[in-house]
Amino acid sequence: MAREVSPPSVDVPKVDIPGIADVTPEMIIQTETEIEELVKFDEQTLILGIETSCDETGVAILRGGDQVLANIISSSADLHSKYGGVVPEDASRAHVQAMNPAIAEALRKADVTLWDMSAIAVTVGPGLVGSLIVGVAAAKALASVLEVPLLGINHLEAHIYANFLEHPDFAPPCIGLIVSGGHTLLVHMPAHGLYEVLGETLDDAAGEAFDKIARYLGIGYPGGPAIDQMALGGSKRAIKFPRAMMKKGYDFSFSGLKTSVRDYIRKQEEAGNEINLADVCASFQEAVVEVQVHKTIKAAQEYNVTNVFVSGGVAANSRLRELMGAFCEENDLRLFYPSPVYCTDNAAMVACCGHYRFQRGIRADPNIEPDPNLHLA
Amino acid sequence: MLVLGIETSTPASSVTIGSEQGIIGSCMVTRGVSHGSFILPAVEFLMKEADLSYRNLSAVAVGLGPGLYTGLRVGVATAKTLAQALSVPIIGVSSLDLLAFDVRYSDKLICPVIDAKRKEVFFGFYRQVPGGIARESSYVVGSPERLLAEMEGSKDDFLLVGNGALLYRERLDGAHKVEFGSMANAFPRAASLVELALPRLYREDYDRLFDLEPLYMRRSDAEINWEKKAK
Ligand SMILES: [Zn+2]
Repeated sequence: MAREVSPPSVDVPKVDIPGIADVTPEMIIQTETEIEELVKFDEQTLILGIETSCDETGVAILRGGDQVLANIISSSADLHSKYGGVVPEDASRAHVQAMNPAIAEALRKADVTLWDMSAIAVTVGPGLVGSLIVGVAAAKALASVLEVPLLGINHLEAHIYANFLEHPDFAPPCIGLIVSGGHTLLVHMPAHGLYEVLGETLDDAAGEAFDKIARYLGIGYPGGPAIDQMALGGSKRAIKFPRAMMKKGYDFSFSGLKTSVRDYIRKQEEAGNEINLADVCASFQEAVVEVQVHKTIKAAQEYNVTNVFVSGGVAANSRLRELMGAFCEENDLRLFYPSPVYCTDNAAMVACCGHYRFQRGIRADPNIEPDPNLHLA
Repeated sequence: MLVLGIETSTPASSVTIGSEQGIIGSCMVTRGVSHGSFILPAVEFLMKEADLSYRNLSAVAVGLGPGLYTGLRVGVATAKTLAQALSVPIIGVSSLDLLAFDVRYSDKLICPVIDAKRKEVFFGFYRQVPGGIARESSYVVGSPERLLAEMEGSKDDFLLVGNGALLYRERLDGAHKVEFGSMANAFPRAASLVELALPRLYREDYDRLFDLEPLYMRRSDAEINWEKKAK
């Protein structure tokens, strides 16, 4: 391998990217053929992605936008499990220790050297600031030594781009859900780099609601997989929990639902009835999933798009996939979702988002700062 | 052998490039720009001015604190990743050592004091020895009153140095024969870091890159609360 450091051969305009809201229409490749040509041109592009927005230290190496040569995820979730939620200080300390072994492991797995990289992509927000600073510091150090562009990536945008890793036919315009422990958003993506947030949660994120209910029921952390598993043995029609804001716009709310689960448990305990946890989980999950599916389908129809995606940790929920799949089929919509490994926080999706941005000639300011409250649009 | 030093454990960000022949260049600011925005542009500036490149570096040295976590983490993560990318050794040095080293020409008991926020300070005790300093205590995090009590229980004269000493000057002045270091020595400097790292580089006394971590001195709040609840 050549160990020479040289600036990128293609001279591209430098654009500051504090957030994707600043992307102008000229930066967006509009036609399919244009994209195809660029993809061919960029087949050898190697992007190293870094993700540290929460408790996962992720380092990935991506070739040509869709070949994941390495996707290392080192999680500190075990540290947080006894507290039933992520402890920011612990997560941050874990990132400092996990970052460099993860970089080494990614390079070893991908069988490339740092000097082969075309660019470094890193999550700059939203997320925990103490976590974000570690990834951004490492990414800046790499970009400075290697003299390659530094691409600042919005974590939410990266979740959407996780779909591009595995589905060659996935493309905007599309509408979809980003649902995870930290986020619940319904997003319209008319073109690469353009986003419109149609709805958000007014209180907890979907994954957070799962965590809280799982903790309340005492069935483990993280709550999403625990409830999903438990629900398999229960009846989703057993208990009638409310469908919050089913008819109202595109926003979500989980506080009312959480309260009614607690009320239900309390009443049953007071009455001395035995509680069927499987039924509670199945019915709770159904209430969450039904609202999400309903609003997504409604938005797809209103915006007249046929591509629908579900991204983020909660996208691994089996009932969400099942119901969304059924409704998409019924309404002639195409549903895309990433494999479970690309649903949870990972750096391959960050590298993928970086790849498309690199293609469009967008470069981050090398002095980009983490922004814990970064918005999608 | 060229060493890059990065020290960010206090409000000051400080970077230095130097070798056994001397300090080639230093940059330091104590407010305004964040540590993360300062370090690499400062390093690049120094290299450009001194006509050097990353490939000339033989080692990276980094201040490990104790200090303020955000800056500390940015400095340590940056230093570790630079060392990894350049395949050069990394050497970590306590930031209290750096402060004490700067005022080593005194036969008093030297006590570097770094403001730890939350009304506490980090400190330790050092004594001048031929060619440097020797630490005579463990690193401590505690209230200024605790430091005062430790000094009152001793027959020594003291030289207090660092931003914590200046911040709590009035409260710490009660002890007998206490002298205070100057403003110019309020923050640990990367120049001392390079100077202290060089002999270790010669001895091949490096730190293990993957194991090196900041001196946090405090457990995380969640851990502390958890133990309180468990009792
Ligand atoms: Zn996420």
